[in-house]
Amino acid sequence: MTNDAAPVVTGTHVGKTFANGAVVALENAQFNIPKGTFVSLVGPSGCGKSTLLRLIAGLIEASSGEITLHGTPVRGPRQDVGMMFQKATLLEWRTALENVLLPTELQRKPTRADEDKARDLLGLVGLGDFAFSFPAQLSGGMQQRVALARLLQTGADVLLLDEPFGALDEFTREHLNLELLRIVGELGATTIFVTHNIAEAIFLADQVFVMTPRPGRIARIVDVPLERPRRLALQTTPEFNRLVVEVRETLGEL
Amino acid sequence: MLRRALPHLAIFAAILGLWEAAIATGLIRSIMVPPPSAVMAAMVKLYLVEGTIYRHFFITLWESVSGFAIGAGIAIALATGSALWEPFRRYVTPYAIVLNVTPGIALTPVIIAWFGYGIGSKVALAAVLCFFPIFVNTLTGLTRPDRDREELFRQLGASDAQLFFKLRVPAALPLMFAGLKIGLTTALIGAVVAEFSQATEGVGVLMSRFSFQLNMGASIATLLSMTAIGLLLFYSMEFIDDRMVFWRREARREAASRARARAWKARRGD
Ligand SMILES: Nc1ncnc2c1ncn2[C@@H]1O[C@H](COP(=O)(O)OP(=O)(O)O)[C@@H](O)[C@H]1O
Ligand SMILES: [Mg+2]
Repeated sequence: MTNDAAPVVTGTHVGKTFANGAVVALENAQFNIPKGTFVSLVGPSGCGKSTLLRLIAGLIEASSGEITLHGTPVRGPRQDVGMMFQKATLLEWRTALENVLLPTELQRKPTRADEDKARDLLGLVGLGDFAFSFPAQLSGGMQQRVALARLLQTGADVLLLDEPFGALDEFTREHLNLELLRIVGELGATTIFVTHNIAEAIFLADQVFVMTPRPGRIARIVDVPLERPRRLALQTTPEFNRLVVEVRETLGEL
Repeated sequence: MLRRALPHLAIFAAILGLWEAAIATGLIRSIMVPPPSAVMAAMVKLYLVEGTIYRHFFITLWESVSGFAIGAGIAIALATGSALWEPFRRYVTPYAIVLNVTPGIALTPVIIAWFGYGIGSKVALAAVLCFFPIFVNTLTGLTRPDRDREELFRQLGASDAQLFFKLRVPAALPLMFAGLKIGLTTALIGAVVAEFSQATEGVGVLMSRFSFQLNMGASIATLLSMTAIGLLLFYSMEFIDDRMVFWRREARREAASRARARAWKARRGD
């Protein structure tokens, strides 16, 4: 972890209300995320996790406070962040490869190098042999891999993932989580990962933002000083369990 | 293939046999309902010996297809305008609905008064009748909310034009083609009804002439040519649909997947 590096994502007194202030989705969020950090947002449904992510992505505007990315305030969607959703949101008339090329295509005419990159990324997520398959020919897990490759194709170094494997079975999810760790580790990307699974949040992260609802707020930021690379066996250690207890206490579950 | 077709053929033969027998025994009067043998004889005469049917066949086919092209063109243009521009939709939709609930066929006399006894009135009625299903399906397809993927496009910095052409148009194709298939069939109805009403050429004219002469065998033989037009139109559109909306059917999808891989290889050499 590189806590001393300049923060890549910051939030100062960030708030977001909906329905003319009737719904406080997020209140007074304060955070500094250093480069290369893996942050998990964990909390019950409705505590503002997606809202925070969409604020950082520039998809919605903060009602108060400010978010900066690489030192400049977020005013709208930008190319230095990439986002991935719980649904794969692939275009079913495009092959896996064409789906991965979409972000490039929306910016410019893809070059040979862009195409090479897309192919390499499909290889990286383990779909090298499925470049020309259409989404309907792929399983749910494979579709999410395509979405991950598409996210990486953007070249963004801040990755926002909103329960990306939440709709998949336990085994596939665990497997994809490990691959995700490996990939973002190699890229040195700053990652914000939303989940409502406490163990998953801790297992993946350098920092866990524990969020509580009504109004949505970051109740506590828990540091995870566990060594990398992470191994599944880690989850049975006392150190890991201590962190689980800490998060659960913050959520008022203990 | 033959094993599967056999029961169908047997049932069909049985129906024809019973029908023929019912007339031979006087159970049904042959002056109103022709026996299958008379229909067959009329078909041989119309389709093979004299070949009179073909000219009319192609006229009706032409009326249906050109009426369909005009109706579909206007429907898709108005649906696209309505999808892109909310005020436009607000003002167009009521007219489309009024047109839909008014029995289109009732417009026949008016259309014939406007466009005359010739081909024009047939094309016009075909266009009017096929308009609505195509308009509604295309508009529904283009405006169907797709929040997740719209958010994805916005996050990726897509322009409005890119959102429209790369997301909304392809996403609307399945519904649009469903509308086009219905529209093509209703266009044929429009052409034939207009021919029944006032015309000098076309299978509709031929059929009403034969019925008027109580030549029921020839009348049914002509009706079958309309069935042939209907099948031809439907399967042509089905053929196009299958290729445009290839991702809906497994076999087409696989073919498209292989074709893309080949195209990639040809273009890039790897
Ligand atoms: N577009 C919106 N309009 C109104 N309320 C919203 C909107 N988006 C989110 N909310 C509300 O804000 C709160 C936080 O939502 P969200 O960020 O989606 O929670 P989470 O992702 O943690 O489940 C919820 O109460 C939700 O109903
Ligand atoms: Mg959410």
